[in-house]
Amino acid sequence: MRFNLVLDLPDVPGQLLEALEPMGRLGANIVAVIHQRDVKTERGTVPVQITIEGDKETLDRVMDAMESKDIQIMAVDGVLRKEQITTVLVGDIVEEDVKETVTLLNQMEGVRVADLDLKMSDEPKNSATKIVMEADFGQKKEILKNIKEVGDQKGFLVINEV
Amino acid sequence: MKIIILGFGAVGQGVARVLSMKKDYLNDRYDLNPQIVAVTDRSGAAININGLDEELLLKTKKKTGKISSYPEYGTADVSSLEVLEDVDYDCLVEVTPTDIDNGEPARSHILKAMGDGKDVVTSNKGPLALSFQELATSAQSNGVEFKFEASVGGAMPIINFAHETLAGCSVQSIYGILNGTTNYILSRMANEGSSYEQTLTEAQEMGIAETDPYQDVEGIDAACKIVILANSVLNLPVTLKDVEVEGISRITAESIALAKKEGLLIKLIGEASPDALEVSPRLVPKGSPFAVEGTLNVATLKTDLADEVTVVGKGAGSVETASAILSDILSIWKIRK
Repeated sequence: MRFNLVLDLPDVPGQLLEALEPMGRLGANIVAVIHQRDVKTERGTVPVQITIEGDKETLDRVMDAMESKDIQIMAVDGVLRKEQITTVLVGDIVEEDVKETVTLLNQMEGVRVADLDLKMSDEPKNSATKIVMEADFGQKKEILKNIKEVGDQKGFLVINEV
Repeated sequence: MKIIILGFGAVGQGVARVLSMKKDYLNDRYDLNPQIVAVTDRSGAAININGLDEELLLKTKKKTGKISSYPEYGTADVSSLEVLEDVDYDCLVEVTPTDIDNGEPARSHILKAMGDGKDVVTSNKGPLALSFQELATSAQSNGVEFKFEASVGGAMPIINFAHETLAGCSVQSIYGILNGTTNYILSRMANEGSSYEQTLTEAQEMGIAETDPYQDVEGIDAACKIVILANSVLNLPVTLKDVEVEGISRITAESIALAKKEGLLIKLIGEASPDALEVSPRLVPKGSPFAVEGTLNVATLKTDLADEVTVVGKGAGSVETASAILSDILSIWKIRK
């Protein structure tokens, strides 16, 4: 059988090789790789489409191995596995506070903080933080609720997606 | 159809204006001859059981600020409740200023009219947000029509739209931008990169924000509308205190700039669903139906059959809001004639 995967790789040398490694090692055949480094997502990552062939067990093992290497598999056969969640926090961002917030978010089941952007203001309470997370598909509502709780705890104004 | 207008501010005057503008149209098309038999404001009332002149009402209000100075039929010594008691009429148009502490005097006006078997049209959010179930029950037990399209989204059709045009669909949730003032402020901040305080002051100078902007910027006005939609469209018996509210006064230029970098805008969004009643600043993608600018209102209804349906329109304005009141008057007329 064949799996069509969409990966989301950081734009640094060696990433594609790293992603392909489990396939060779575990014995899946690579049918096609579409990799255009010039086509990037808004966050600067590179989407890569890969088609692999093998029996079901092998392919499952390959996916597990990829995930344990923290390679982001966004979709399998057109079905989304990960979705991106963006949130903006307003409030006094002393370095530690943001760090701790990111840690708390990372600890949530199925969530990985993928990008962080800060904009400081002369007035510390006006500073803003943008956090982009990748999360298991279908968890969005629950995750948004948790983000709000984490933000409220820290005294941030949480601006979530609709 | 004999009409009493209680309250003669922007909306009340708008009603007089559209009834005057549309006189022939209403007669030709619907065989409706609306007569304004009484109008009240803080100064008193103008009463004529044979019908007041709309243009003269507007002229008198503009010149003197008082409806009680209406030639011949004006009087200062009468309360709104007395007018409802003494004057013979068919339909009350209740457009007194909104009070969100106790909903008065509108609540008493509406209950009095219903108790007397009169139909009621209102744009007044106060009594609806605080006592929706009481008013709906009273309308039902007295067998009268109770319409309030103008209370949410001004000219933007939503309540009657959900009930009539989308009849047969169950509405599961409603998301919307339901306050024009805050949408104006957030749109300006996004376009100009200006601060919240600066933009609010500018909006006040332009007359878009009120001198006391509290109810708008802290999300209370939008929360009232969420309560009305939750009750009337989703059949949820909730009141204002059930809504989780966060306004826009903590939104900074920095947060808007960061959102923009990700292709997102910050909007004050109201949400009504069985799981959530909330008004809060949210991120919406540029180019989504919620990315409307200026004082526009927008709402998306998620339904079982039609999936998502979105309406956009002017959320305020004298004649615009009066258009929603006129549509309510017409639907009552179609039932009664």
